[in-house]
Amino acid sequence: MSIQEQYKKRVRELLSSGAVKMVIGYQAGTTADRRRPLFIRTPEEAEKLVLDSACIANLSGYLVTEGLLSDEKSVGIFLRPDGIRSINILAAEAQLNPEQVVILGFDGNDKEVTALQGEKARDFSAIIASIKEHAPEAPRNPQLEQIEKMSPKERFAFWQAEFSRCIKCYACRQACPMCYCRRCIVDSNQPQWVNTSSHTLGNLEWNVVRAFHLSGRCVGCGNCDRACPVNIPLRLINAKMAGEVLGAFDHFAGMSETQEPVLASFKKDDSETFIL
Amino acid sequence: MTRILLSDKLDNCVARWRKAGLTVIGPVKKETSSSYATVEKAADFDFGIVLPDRSIKGLFFPQTEPMMGYTIKKQDIATNDFAPPTEKRIIFGARSCDASGLAIDDPLFGWDYKDDFWFQRRNETVIVTIACTKADDFCMCTSLKLAPDSTKGSDVLLRPLQNNKGWLVEELTDRGREAFKEIADLLLDGSEQAAPLAVVPEKFNLDACVAWLKNPENFDSTFWKEISMRCIGCGSCTFLCPTCHCFDFQDEGDTYSGIRRKNWDSCSFSLFTMHTSGHNPRSTQSARWRQRIMHKFNYFPGKFSVNSCSGCGRCTRQCPVDMGITETLQAISTLKP
Repeated sequence: MSIQEQYKKRVRELLSSGAVKMVIGYQAGTTADRRRPLFIRTPEEAEKLVLDSACIANLSGYLVTEGLLSDEKSVGIFLRPDGIRSINILAAEAQLNPEQVVILGFDGNDKEVTALQGEKARDFSAIIASIKEHAPEAPRNPQLEQIEKMSPKERFAFWQAEFSRCIKCYACRQACPMCYCRRCIVDSNQPQWVNTSSHTLGNLEWNVVRAFHLSGRCVGCGNCDRACPVNIPLRLINAKMAGEVLGAFDHFAGMSETQEPVLASFKKDDSETFIL
Repeated sequence: MTRILLSDKLDNCVARWRKAGLTVIGPVKKETSSSYATVEKAADFDFGIVLPDRSIKGLFFPQTEPMMGYTIKKQDIATNDFAPPTEKRIIFGARSCDASGLAIDDPLFGWDYKDDFWFQRRNETVIVTIACTKADDFCMCTSLKLAPDSTKGSDVLLRPLQNNKGWLVEELTDRGREAFKEIADLLLDGSEQAAPLAVVPEKFNLDACVAWLKNPENFDSTFWKEISMRCIGCGSCTFLCPTCHCFDFQDEGDTYSGIRRKNWDSCSFSLFTMHTSGHNPRSTQSARWRQRIMHKFNYFPGKFSVNSCSGCGRCTRQCPVDMGITETLQAISTLKP
């Protein structure tokens, strides 16, 4: 039985036994290479489910939809390891109760997917620990390395050119599981902290604010980067910040549901070179 | 006998137009994203782009535009109005859907208040559209009763030659004829065949959709919630749309100096309809998506007798969750009116 069929069976079981009220997964999209999010509420609807290497999007953001988990019933969700790390962060930041999240875990490459054993986020801690362990030797993005070699002036010019395309549609924010604020700082207008205008300064402000808000929280799922309608390479910024946080604080986002947020916690042995 | 513009004469044309004081704009791919951008020579154009990522709209209605400003110095208070730009432009290689989008928005910008910024740019810009010989899976102009060679909103229509060496020229307006006078001696007479137009299959029955939308009972249909469940509430579809035209005024500055700007706004955002009291009449994403569809295919045509969609397909093409007008209207087509 293919992994897709195995998981269809599992979804039907979860829904007919009442273990979950809904399963969030993937279905076929407009073109052969596209997958769309799917919300399955009856065992019959499981037939629409697709699970293959094109299932890339991190769906965990849907779990913090207002009211979805407030009845204390469980929801099933298809997640790759990066999505499971998102669940840990959302739990650690008190945005959801991980007991209500039944994970249908999978992993894979651009050709095939494999099933991951486990049901609750904590069941996958060994996999996540191994990803962290191998993070330093993981192949680095060649474009990121190129940007690191630039002088500060060149780097600023590079990002200004990239951000000049930004139209402030906020697709990056809306696609990001970590951007769950009911009212984003840029939507606060009394006072107007951040310019809403999509001009050079406004675009720079927005993207820099977002980079800092995601430092130590981004799991590198790439949702923002894929969502950007003008193809700004947003994942490079977040990958850079994740690397900095790992190096400075040995913090790898989403290790457990009780992990303290790196920018909101203090340890005696934290590096303080930037203060002293 | 028709007039022909050969591709190898394009460099000369660009130089002529630039010499005549026109800014030449065309489809350009820069880094990882395509748009209509200023070109200096024929090699800068990329006519292989099916449709630029960003629509033509921003050239007439920019994403942010200063309207007025003020400075206060002790006893001196100065205000300044930003006048509409007087730059003369020619857009060479627009797509029919984008040019149509401009014509669709003309009545809106000239309705109760004549928007000088829009009309000044419209009047000073020549639009040379190239008929499409290629389409992708998201194109849907035919579903909107338009076509890959619609002339709506265009000043000149070019049809690519079968031999790929140039275009057949159809001058449509005085503005177009005026601009092509500059290059009249570069055109040839010929009888070459035009390449076949792109085949864009009809994806939904527009009349059936409009009938369903007009039935007031369907305003509260559960359909809206179902179809928009995966919408993440970003503004990608509205900002890329060649006809979406909503904007917001923002004041930037402090006590001593500042600028009032007109910025794009989107009905997808929860803040769009938020009242000062905190009440939001469109409090859910499904209500916002319904508004977008109703506005385009019910309210706008009710007022201006034209649908506010030209079938470019960008809403679906660039949607982070693969939603869009096509899927929604396809689904509505199957419902009982």
